Amino acid sequence: MKSRKAIADAIRKKWNFTVDSPLRDQLLAHALREQEQSQETEPAVNRPAIRRMIMKNSMVKLGIAAVILAVLGIGIVEFLGTGGTSGVVWAQVAKNVEASRGVIFRVRGTGSRDPNGDWPNGYTIHWRSAALSRADWYRNGQIHRTIYTNLDTKTLIGVLHDHKMYNKEALSDERVQQARAGKGWTDPQELLNLALSLEHHALAPKTINGVLCEGIEATGPDGSTGRIWVAVETGYPVLTEVEGIDKGGIRHTSTGDQFRWNVDLLAEGIEPEIPAGYEPL
Amino acid sequence: MLEDEWLKWKLRRGSREALARVYEKYVDAMLTLAMGLLNQRATAEDVVQDVFLSFARSAKDLRARGSLRSYLATCVLNRVRDSRRQRQRRTVRDAGLCVPTESPGPERAVVLAEETARLNQAVAELPEEQREVVLLRLKANLKFRDIAKVQQTSVNTVLGRYRYGLDRLRSLLNGEVEP
Repeated sequence: MKSRKAIADAIRKKWNFTVDSPLRDQLLAHALREQEQSQETEPAVNRPAIRRMIMKNSMVKLGIAAVILAVLGIGIVEFLGTGGTSGVVWAQVAKNVEASRGVIFRVRGTGSRDPNGDWPNGYTIHWRSAALSRADWYRNGQIHRTIYTNLDTKTLIGVLHDHKMYNKEALSDERVQQARAGKGWTDPQELLNLALSLEHHALAPKTINGVLCEGIEATGPDGSTGRIWVAVETGYPVLTEVEGIDKGGIRHTSTGDQFRWNVDLLAEGIEPEIPAGYEPL
Repeated sequence: MLEDEWLKWKLRRGSREALARVYEKYVDAMLTLAMGLLNQRATAEDVVQDVFLSFARSAKDLRARGSLRSYLATCVLNRVRDSRRQRQRRTVRDAGLCVPTESPGPERAVVLAEETARLNQAVAELPEEQREVVLLRLKANLKFRDIAKVQQTSVNTVLGRYRYGLDRLRSLLNGEVEP
């Protein structure tokens, strides 16, 4: 006799459908095209009007002012507080990360589908520099997808290893601008800046892979947490962790590690080669 | 989720990576929800496509509060209701088609195990309002008070529908009720 809870658990955890692979890619391609077209039809020059509309509301103004003050306050604490009492000056860490020529790192996750659903075997390897970006997704020990962009040559290469297909396309100036503006939530620089802008506190120092590290833990408005651990000696992040519990009680995590900072990334070194027999999309 | 807040922030700035991430993160959950509500694979896929296309078009003006999962789930439910209304207008009601079913072909392996297949059938046999509550709660993680808003009823009614829905599923799955 199954209990109510057993029925609920079965529906929550075991009853799932997935979109078939070809359709999955087609739907995403359509959605990305819609997004691009919507941006073309409503140019960015219209955006200040929205901002002006928002700012007319005095409560919103107060909220924005409070956020700005909070961020400024955090910044002041960073510069005045941590420098004197710990080995890591977080403002310097932010500068180090921003100045890094290139970085290579690994991301693993649980709870959600991506970066992988087979923790701890699945992972994503990222290569990042100002102009180059490559991500290799591995699932079940096999390379699954590769996405490469070169903002200088305005090219994008996608390789669908699971379908033995690839795609090469030119990036529009707009897409290049967008890519330069932000590299996504997995980017350690953006994660660091986000953590520093949120309410956060210092963690007790610990040794990670034989390296003494100091960390901060930032808390989002919904209780999710992000932790960044920095090597005291180098002043660069060695481990990033994001975790939260969604409304269904499922714990989601994302872990970035195996960082190699200040790497010179060259296009010829990381541009993916299309394996023989792969067909164009 | 911190990640959802981050994604919303990026979406408002036109990030393609953020849209791809939202899609990858939620497309299967939304298909599961649509499948549960409709029990028709093709229509469910159409619904999911419509939801993500609409989401992509309006992403830069996104004002969703809370998790993207809840937001998308509510969009799916609204589309499913539209789809049902259109179908009701188009088709003559047939006693055998009150709960439409579709046999999965080999190339469309919708269910992977017997238990999943039985669950699928049992969920399809729930009354529509109970099915909505059970699926929005268990597959979209909506709070009962949010489901009450969507169904335009009281929280107590929603709680009752949830309880009756699970009891009905329990009966169906334990073979106490003739299908």
